[in-house]
Amino acid sequence: MKGSQLGEFEELVLLVTGVLFPEAYGLNIRREITEQTGRNVALGAIHSALNRLEKKGFLKSKLAEETHERGGRRKRLFWITAAGKRAMQTNHEVRNTLWNRIPELAWKGLDYGTA
Amino acid sequence: MALLKQRTPPSSADELLGWFCKDQLLEEIKGDLHELYEVDLAETPKWRANLSYWYHVLHFLRPFALKSSSQNSNTVMIRSHFKFAWRNISKHKMSAVTNIVSLAVGIACFIFIFIYLKDELSYDRFHTDSERIHRIAIDFVSANGRIPDATTPPALAPALKRDFPEVETSVRLFPNWGRKFLFEVDGKKFYEEEYIRTDSTFFDVFDFKPLHGDVKTALDAPNQIVLTRSTAIKYFGDDDVVGKTMVLGPSDPLVLRVSAVVEDVPDNSHFKFDMLGRITFNDIEENWGWYNFYTYIKVFPNADMAAFEAKLQPFFEGYEDPAEYYNAIYSQRLTDIHLKSNLKWELEANGNIETVYILAGLALFVLLISCLNYLNLAVAESLKRFKEVGVRKVFGAHRKSLINQFLVETMLITIISLLLGCLFAEFLFGALQDLLGKPLTLFADENMGFLLGLAGFILLMGLLAGLYPAISISRFKTALAVKGQINRSGKSALGLRKVLLIIQFSLSAFMIFGTLTVYQQSEHIRNKDKGFSTEQVLVIENGTSIDNQAPLKTELQRLSQVNDVGVASGIIGGLNWTTGVGYPEELVMNYVVIDPGFIETLDLNLIAGRNFEEERETDRQGWNMIINETALDELGLTLDDVGKPIPLVEQNDDSVANGTIIGVVKDFHFTDFKLEIKPFAFFYRDRSLDYVSVKLNTADISETIGEIEGIWSKFTNGEPMEYFFMDQQFADIHAQENRLSKILMYLTMLAFFIAFVGMIAITRITIKDKRKEIAIRKVLGASVAGVTNLITSRFLILVIVANLVAVPVSYWLMNTWLDGFAYRTTLGLELFLVAIGSTILVATSIVGLQSVKAAVTNPVQNLRQE
Repeated sequence: MKGSQLGEFEELVLLVTGVLFPEAYGLNIRREITEQTGRNVALGAIHSALNRLEKKGFLKSKLAEETHERGGRRKRLFWITAAGKRAMQTNHEVRNTLWNRIPELAWKGLDYGTA
Repeated sequence: MALLKQRTPPSSADELLGWFCKDQLLEEIKGDLHELYEVDLAETPKWRANLSYWYHVLHFLRPFALKSSSQNSNTVMIRSHFKFAWRNISKHKMSAVTNIVSLAVGIACFIFIFIYLKDELSYDRFHTDSERIHRIAIDFVSANGRIPDATTPPALAPALKRDFPEVETSVRLFPNWGRKFLFEVDGKKFYEEEYIRTDSTFFDVFDFKPLHGDVKTALDAPNQIVLTRSTAIKYFGDDDVVGKTMVLGPSDPLVLRVSAVVEDVPDNSHFKFDMLGRITFNDIEENWGWYNFYTYIKVFPNADMAAFEAKLQPFFEGYEDPAEYYNAIYSQRLTDIHLKSNLKWELEANGNIETVYILAGLALFVLLISCLNYLNLAVAESLKRFKEVGVRKVFGAHRKSLINQFLVETMLITIISLLLGCLFAEFLFGALQDLLGKPLTLFADENMGFLLGLAGFILLMGLLAGLYPAISISRFKTALAVKGQINRSGKSALGLRKVLLIIQFSLSAFMIFGTLTVYQQSEHIRNKDKGFSTEQVLVIENGTSIDNQAPLKTELQRLSQVNDVGVASGIIGGLNWTTGVGYPEELVMNYVVIDPGFIETLDLNLIAGRNFEEERETDRQGWNMIINETALDELGLTLDDVGKPIPLVEQNDDSVANGTIIGVVKDFHFTDFKLEIKPFAFFYRDRSLDYVSVKLNTADISETIGEIEGIWSKFTNGEPMEYFFMDQQFADIHAQENRLSKILMYLTMLAFFIAFVGMIAITRITIKDKRKEIAIRKVLGASVAGVTNLITSRFLILVIVANLVAVPVSYWLMNTWLDGFAYRTTLGLELFLVAIGSTILVATSIVGLQSVKAAVTNPVQNLRQE
């Protein structure tokens, strides 16, 4: 099935969407990513990723109530679906398993190497 | 207000976003962007915020945010226009097909002629400096007039280079003059005709694409030879043959070394060669009397050709003995030779600029007919669509979209026609290659400009065809349109239709008249008594390879399939020589040397005196000759002078030699029928001559040729017999006229087809309009015949008006055209009858048939609709 994989940037967006729940939308996701990682991302890239994630079924969205901010334009709020959660979990577990399997010697070698 | 304005992001960026972004995403995206802008504005200067805004807007140029094309309301409309256009075409299949086919045929004709003419006009332009190359020609001028002649003496080219600062370089060409050269390479022997001998400067003047070897030095030595690629392959099986040798024989063998190989000579060169060698005659550099060379010069850039031309005649007279003749020297542009020069002894049969004009006119004509035809039908058909337009208006169609609808329909038809026309033209090029005499194609790179131009024109025509109905019909009041009522402008459209119809009929009447004239003229020429017979005359070309021809003649004569055998030094209608004859006034006399059998072989008609006789020694000597009527006349003699010795030729020592006119033959056409008959003489000499003519009396040509070849081989040592049929030779002389008349025939057939199809279509439309009228007339008691007569007579009036316009114009034009011929046909009454009669016949039969069909239908069918 298309999109069972989660790209690095997509995972980041997904994580931030979770963090910002229930107020996650394009602009504050971008701000959060910039603040947390120092990466300067175009707004279009965020929207594109959100759009993709929603198509993959990892996110759901709805338009928020009309407010007087933003010239009366509604924002689209995003939240994680069960499928999204599973995908993140899988990613997380794979990473942890692999992390734990790295032998101590590897880190030592690294120290020797740099010494 | 000012404050608010400051806080809004650049509106142009917003517009751009709105243009490309999906509508359903626009709100949230725009919201985010605006919020971001406000944040940026709070932290950074305005210009940076603006910049950043642009940056982010442009970053939404991603697939997910872009509008898919179907969401554009414009494309939706265009798609709907196409859908309706297609439905309309399928609904009126018959008229759509006639429209497309007739337009496509017209376009194909135009393309066909245009490309053909473009090729004709492209002659000799492939030389890099073609504009700087000129040919020098010298006309013979005597009391009898001026004889245009392309040949010049050999001393001319070096003298031009020496005496004129304008001349960069000059070159002479010496063609084979009917001779065949026997070349041999490793036992392979071939006769070659296209062997031109020239100077070392050849490649300084002309550009023929070199393949191997250095052409600059390729003709420096007299034993060098340049081959074309196919000649090289013919002899050596390969094109890289520089340094190899070939032998020019058989007597006095000469070893030639290949110094360069060039690409084959392009079809659009006014002279062609397979091989080039050096001119090796001795003592010709000061020879001003041997008119057998062609002289070309290349002038320096910006040379004043008018000044050069003015200096040419004094220069020439400085060299030539002025007492002899007054000869006129002049220069011709290289690029004018093919179409504008028609001198005696051209290197190759030239085209004719008149033909170009005639064909170009016709091409435009056919295109015009088919366009008018289409406009006509498009207007006529659109007039039936009031109701549709009305209904569309009721449903809220804008005028703009109605106009677009019509335009899309006409454009669709014209584009399909254009494509079909191109394909058809390409098909014609393939099918008529023999007729054209050269391979042509539309899809060559250099034709792209033309193709684009034509496409532009055709689309413009489609626009025009759609625009008139679009604008006039969409203007009608909705209520009237729905009712199908035609108001005043509708009536003017009907008037327009009549005018268009008359124009169309006039054009086709003119085409019929014109082609019949051209056809009649070409038949007139073909059937004109040439004065001698070329049918079933086989000519052996290499007769001189047998030294004593008498036994050959006897053996051939013995064959039952052979009527007569004769030999000659030239070919009547192909190659003859000239000399000065006449006293005290000299005239240029064309002549060939023959034997007594020749007169009978060609059925030349002796009207006075007698034929040469073998027994009379004197017949073979001096100025004893048989001449034609024109020569007798121009020499100032009468039939009484035949057989008496008379002073004929002034010799070099100023003494006058006597000669006898032994016989006089009836005038015969030995050249183009366009030219007047010239003086011609036959001499009899007892020596081996080039051309052996054999008159056959059998249908079994191939077996007879086999027997003749058997006899031939008995007298030669292995030389192949080279032969041709004389009527073929004559056909070549008239190839230009035949080609023109055939092309004209095809064109007119096609033009007539277009006009014919147009007539059917317009009749069908009119009958549909008249259905109700016919039905009511029938209900009120009209007979089928009565109704049919009524409708037919209305059409006939239009056809007669069209003929009244067309016939005088075509009479005048064709008469002018015919004046270009010395032997012209007359425009007889039958021509008028056929032209007028056939248009009327076609009109009556089709209109009549359609009216009868409409009239016999049950009137209820047509009346119950409302």
